[in-house]
Amino acid sequence: MVALTLRLGFAAALLWAQAGFAQTENRPAEVQIKAAFLYKFGDFVQWPPAAFARADAPFVIGVLAADDLAVALEQLVANRSVQGHPVAVRRVRRGEPLAGLHVLFIGQAESARLAETLAAARGQAVLTVTESENALAAGSMINFVAEDQRVRFDVALPSAERGQLKISSRLLAVARRVITS
Amino acid sequence: MGDVAISVQGRCALTHIFTLALACFSAGAAAQVQLAANLAELSLEELANLQVTSVSRRAERLADAAAALYVITGEDIRRSGVTSLPEALRLAPNLEVARIDSRQYAISARGFNNSIGNKLLVLIDGRTVYTPLFSGVFWDAQDTLLDDIDRIEVISGPGATLWGANAVNGVINVITRRASETRGTLAEAGAGNRERGISARHGVDLQGGGALRIYGKFFDRDNTVRANGSAVRDEWQNGQTGFRGDWGSAASGFTLQGDAYRGSIQQPVGNDVTLSGGNLLGRMTRSLAGEDRVQAQVYFDNTQRDIPGSFAERLNTFDAEAQHAFQAARDHFVTWGGGHRRAYDRVNNSAGLAFLPDRTTLHWTNVFAQDEVTLGERWRLTLGTKFESNVYTGTEALPSARIAWKPDPQQLVWAAASRAVRAPSRLDRDLFVPAQPPFLLAGGPDFRSEVAKVLELGYRAQPSTRFSYSVTGFYSQYDHLRTLERVGTTFVLGNKMEGRSKGIEAWGTFQAASHWRLSAGALLLDQDLRLKSDSTDTSGVAAAGNDPKHQFTLRSSLDLAGNQHFDVMARYVGALPNPAVPAYSAVDARYAWQLQRGLELSVTAQNLFDHAHPEFGAPATRSEIERGFFVRVKWSH
Repeated sequence: MVALTLRLGFAAALLWAQAGFAQTENRPAEVQIKAAFLYKFGDFVQWPPAAFARADAPFVIGVLAADDLAVALEQLVANRSVQGHPVAVRRVRRGEPLAGLHVLFIGQAESARLAETLAAARGQAVLTVTESENALAAGSMINFVAEDQRVRFDVALPSAERGQLKISSRLLAVARRVITS
Repeated sequence: MGDVAISVQGRCALTHIFTLALACFSAGAAAQVQLAANLAELSLEELANLQVTSVSRRAERLADAAAALYVITGEDIRRSGVTSLPEALRLAPNLEVARIDSRQYAISARGFNNSIGNKLLVLIDGRTVYTPLFSGVFWDAQDTLLDDIDRIEVISGPGATLWGANAVNGVINVITRRASETRGTLAEAGAGNRERGISARHGVDLQGGGALRIYGKFFDRDNTVRANGSAVRDEWQNGQTGFRGDWGSAASGFTLQGDAYRGSIQQPVGNDVTLSGGNLLGRMTRSLAGEDRVQAQVYFDNTQRDIPGSFAERLNTFDAEAQHAFQAARDHFVTWGGGHRRAYDRVNNSAGLAFLPDRTTLHWTNVFAQDEVTLGERWRLTLGTKFESNVYTGTEALPSARIAWKPDPQQLVWAAASRAVRAPSRLDRDLFVPAQPPFLLAGGPDFRSEVAKVLELGYRAQPSTRFSYSVTGFYSQYDHLRTLERVGTTFVLGNKMEGRSKGIEAWGTFQAASHWRLSAGALLLDQDLRLKSDSTDTSGVAAAGNDPKHQFTLRSSLDLAGNQHFDVMARYVGALPNPAVPAYSAVDARYAWQLQRGLELSVTAQNLFDHAHPEFGAPATRSEIERGFFVRVKWSH
């Protein structure tokens, strides 16, 4: 009994020590908020029926060039669903086919080749989400921007429409900016 | 004053402390997983408003804040459908809010509620709005565009070490959104059986960086009625306009903002009461190395009030303050600063009552320092004091000691011991009734500060990602409370009441489903006040305040399909003893439907199941608060 208590106490202390380390990093928080957005977006976007092969087919979020975000997202979506579909996270490498994805997040590390990847997604029913400057002009549908220590996002409706995606007004209401033409 | 300190607390994202207790308590890999899970429960709006730094050390430190803190979010306010700042304060479970008539409210924390309540410090964007005339707040002169409020932080209990004298029983800190968060146009119009209002705001980016918004609003509130159905002459019209510009970021930047207002209110006899005023505030913040930062703020405030038959007042206030926070040593984070405020008060007296001298200059100077000591991984000790001088009693010491223990990432236990004072106001020293001798009532030349010594013990926990709660117990000892001492045929304001109060404040939030949130709050208060043996006061302890022993609130926020929202809030307020006001329950509800992007239609009902009820005052002179309906259209682009 005593040993068990000690062991639990030790585990808690260890976690606590890790906490101190984790908290000095700002990056994880931003990544977690972006991950939460990626999951949340799913409830406010309508995909064409053909995007899901079966009623119980997974809702797949692809993550390119952002491993830390993929980790945060995997933690976040465990046992969760989007519009009745279980959520799956898939790490995508550049050049891989995008078929089967519902959302594709492209990390900043990829910003130099953003246009290339976005071109590959163009016209497909994949919600493209980025975190790079001028990404909307390059064809991204949603782009995260840091503002006042908050994570906000801009939306480009024409790009979404090309992918046959309908974005709900509630999502647009939260957007920092919405580009309509 | 401690305005800077409040802003620092604000910046550091106390926001969502309860819905997001975990984000704040976050620790370690396991907690990161839970944090992630918790973030998934937030709405898009909440995510967008979440400060990224809230998980960093600075905010984590504030989540550890050893105080009874409740945050009303801007979303809460918008979803409640309220149309005024005092009504929004009903959302805080740790406040007593009683409506007196169309424009007056009695608002307090931890007792002593009164139409001239004086133990609460209220700030709007760092500007102190309590009046040195009676150390309370003229609620009819405090307004802003409610849509632009980011949050209202409500601390019950003393906050004097950071905020200064008057923060005896609580601090209310209204924080509006930065201009960069209110871009675009918003227009609203609403009408109901009790009031009508219109408001508009426009926000733009400025060339060369920065953002600016301007707003304007106007409302017209109907008169209230007596219990016998007769009308009270208290119709009220008010207009306000203002702006806010922000350059740089919240951490390192500059803010310039101001407001101007004008209103008129009927009174039972005589000409209408008129109000007007304006203010201008500038604030600069700079991030230094690490968590170190400096902040400086100046403001000017003018407020005028003419109550024909009673008095007219013009008050000009200048305030300047600065603060520096830095890591003094590995385990010591020090915040220190000071400020000076100067108020020029001019009263036009009537035959009935007078503030003498009619013109006076009041000033307050303060210095403060606080050290946050990290004791190992789980304990944090905060020691601090403020010294604040005022023209009446000289320098007052306002020390506090707070300790927080975090046994695990989901729990926080805290305790605090504080001394706070309510410094004399003009009412205590300078009021005379009538204006010429022989006086019936006279300010006390020796009136001294009222003193509170307060012990608090609090516990906050988030046992699951869906449920969080907070419980605070307090024990306060009061001395030198205001009395009316009989000296010959005159009543002179004195300090011969003492006593104690104890109580419990509890609240919690339960996310029943991703689209349904339930919140509840409870207040229990037990006061024991008495006159000292040498007191000649004949009115007894009733003048100190009139408080319910219990208050309960329950709120439900439901998101329905098709962009609809349905919110219900119920409250039960126990009976007030003297003058007696019966206990009452009230249910408010709001239904909102977003017709299309940027266009929302909402219907709000107040006192849904109750024709009318009184909330404060004696039967013969008090107003009944009637059932109200309000339909509003909001357009934003």
